[in-house]
Amino acid sequence: MMILLLVLPLAAALLMLLWPRIAPLLALFSAAVCSFLALQLLLQVSEQGTRYWLLAGWPSGLAIAWQADTLSCLLILLTAVLQLLVGFYAFATRARDKLSQGFWPLSSLLQLSLTALWLSRDLFNLYVCLELLALVAVALVSLSGRKAIKPALNYLLLSLFGSLCYLLGVVLLYGAYGRLDIAGLVSQWQPNLLTNSALLLMSLGLMLKAALWPLHGWLPAAHAAAPAPVSALLSALVVKGPLFILCLLWLQLASTEQAQAMAPLFAGAGLAALLFGGWSALRTPFAKNLVAYSTVAQLGYATLALGLMLKFDQPLIFAALWLFVLAHALAKAACFLAIGEMSGTLGGKRLTTLKGASQTMPLAMFAFAVAGGSLIGLPPSGGFLAKWALLQGLWLQEQQLFWPLALVLATLLSAAYVFRVVVLAFDRADPVAPDFSPQVLPQWLALLPALAVWAMALFSEPLLLLLRLEAL
Amino acid sequence: MVEFSSSLNLFLATAATLVAIGVYGFIVGPEPLRRIVALNIISAGIFMLMVVLAYRSAGPDAVSTLADPVLHALVLTGLVVAVSATAFALALLARLGKTTADRPEEPGP
Repeated sequence: MMILLLVLPLAAALLMLLWPRIAPLLALFSAAVCSFLALQLLLQVSEQGTRYWLLAGWPSGLAIAWQADTLSCLLILLTAVLQLLVGFYAFATRARDKLSQGFWPLSSLLQLSLTALWLSRDLFNLYVCLELLALVAVALVSLSGRKAIKPALNYLLLSLFGSLCYLLGVVLLYGAYGRLDIAGLVSQWQPNLLTNSALLLMSLGLMLKAALWPLHGWLPAAHAAAPAPVSALLSALVVKGPLFILCLLWLQLASTEQAQAMAPLFAGAGLAALLFGGWSALRTPFAKNLVAYSTVAQLGYATLALGLMLKFDQPLIFAALWLFVLAHALAKAACFLAIGEMSGTLGGKRLTTLKGASQTMPLAMFAFAVAGGSLIGLPPSGGFLAKWALLQGLWLQEQQLFWPLALVLATLLSAAYVFRVVVLAFDRADPVAPDFSPQVLPQWLALLPALAVWAMALFSEPLLLLLRLEAL
Repeated sequence: MVEFSSSLNLFLATAATLVAIGVYGFIVGPEPLRRIVALNIISAGIFMLMVVLAYRSAGPDAVSTLADPVLHALVLTGLVVAVSATAFALALLARLGKTTADRPEEPGP
């Protein structure tokens, strides 16, 4: 089953290159089958416990170690489902947006590299997955034509630099311990100068790739320049890959002293991302840049949760981290699809073209508002669930007043930039007329992930239980 | 811990210098081509470090002079990744050159 999850997207991508005419059908088919398989894998793993593989039958220590725990399975399921949804959106708008043929094989390769990344527990294999992910992501950004080339090149260069930093850290660790699998390294781990510098180098590279503050400069330009379905995939999934590896490094590999020393740095960077990202989202005149800056801000929650997790070692905070990631992935996919749909139909990239959108395109605007509700953290959405878990985790520690107050401030900022769009959309006095009559199907497709993120609240108990178990 | 014969120190120093030159070039150079070259210098440094590390011995009394084959395999993989990434970056750069030649001034994002 695990093999099929990887082979199917790869085979589909290769077939699409040979036979471009049926590429959309192949992509949708492979994404649908993969979603089904991922669901099966998740059910199986949550029943029978974590599964391990040593690839190609090599002995432990030499083989590439893979592991499917509930978190990995959840992320694989998320990847496949979003891929399917965005594929449907791209298919529904293909005549209007003139999306390049390259989108289909590249999106399948994106799914492949992400699935491999969620499964892998081998530092060098993770490097290869990261590099594949970055190359595919940059190629996807460059699809939208000449204006996107410059941000794409910038993204590629920074991302390659990040990968090389990560690789140098991996080489240092291998030189000292002669192992690459995380489980093997943990058993021999000693906190010393070498492991400190390797961890810091790897974190630097991963933070650059995950666009964590203060290394987020490339993200708004790259995500805003890409076509709408690509921005949805990039914001929802691609930046989470390096974040996942960062969590593996600091939560599993690093010793307690190292983790404690790094905790304030991560928490501070997360808080700064929330404030500066929110502020930039409040100021930018372009609709897609607003959503992209909101990604920077929302990644701040995940970084903050990682920092607090390292500090307090509280399973609830770990659950909050991944709930943020899941909720943000769904909400941001909805936001980007809705904004892409609105600016495509109303004809303009500026925020002011959304004036009166609640009248001209009520469905897309509803999708944005609903997804925005989760970004703010209104109950009972996925974002609320994550924030509640984080606050509850903090309250279980004694006398923590600073962090809850900081969270309130960040929430107000995100409410401000979401309402900036909503207020403009309800300004019905002189609405911007659409260039052509709005299509209904793409708007519904944008609404689906927004509804899914609110439905997350219905499954809050099993989700929290699954993720909390993972932290122990 | 890991032991090195002193003759390898020269190679280690060279690798470190290559990485340092590359990082300097990447941070300073605003032109994309220069940055691509700088990235290649960094990766050359890292690959050299890997090749040298393959000749480390596990302890002071270990007499094995066989190179560690895993690191050599990793270098090969790394080379493939680096070559394809460089090719992609150069292709993007060529495309960028073409579009800016067509339209010298770009208004806004």
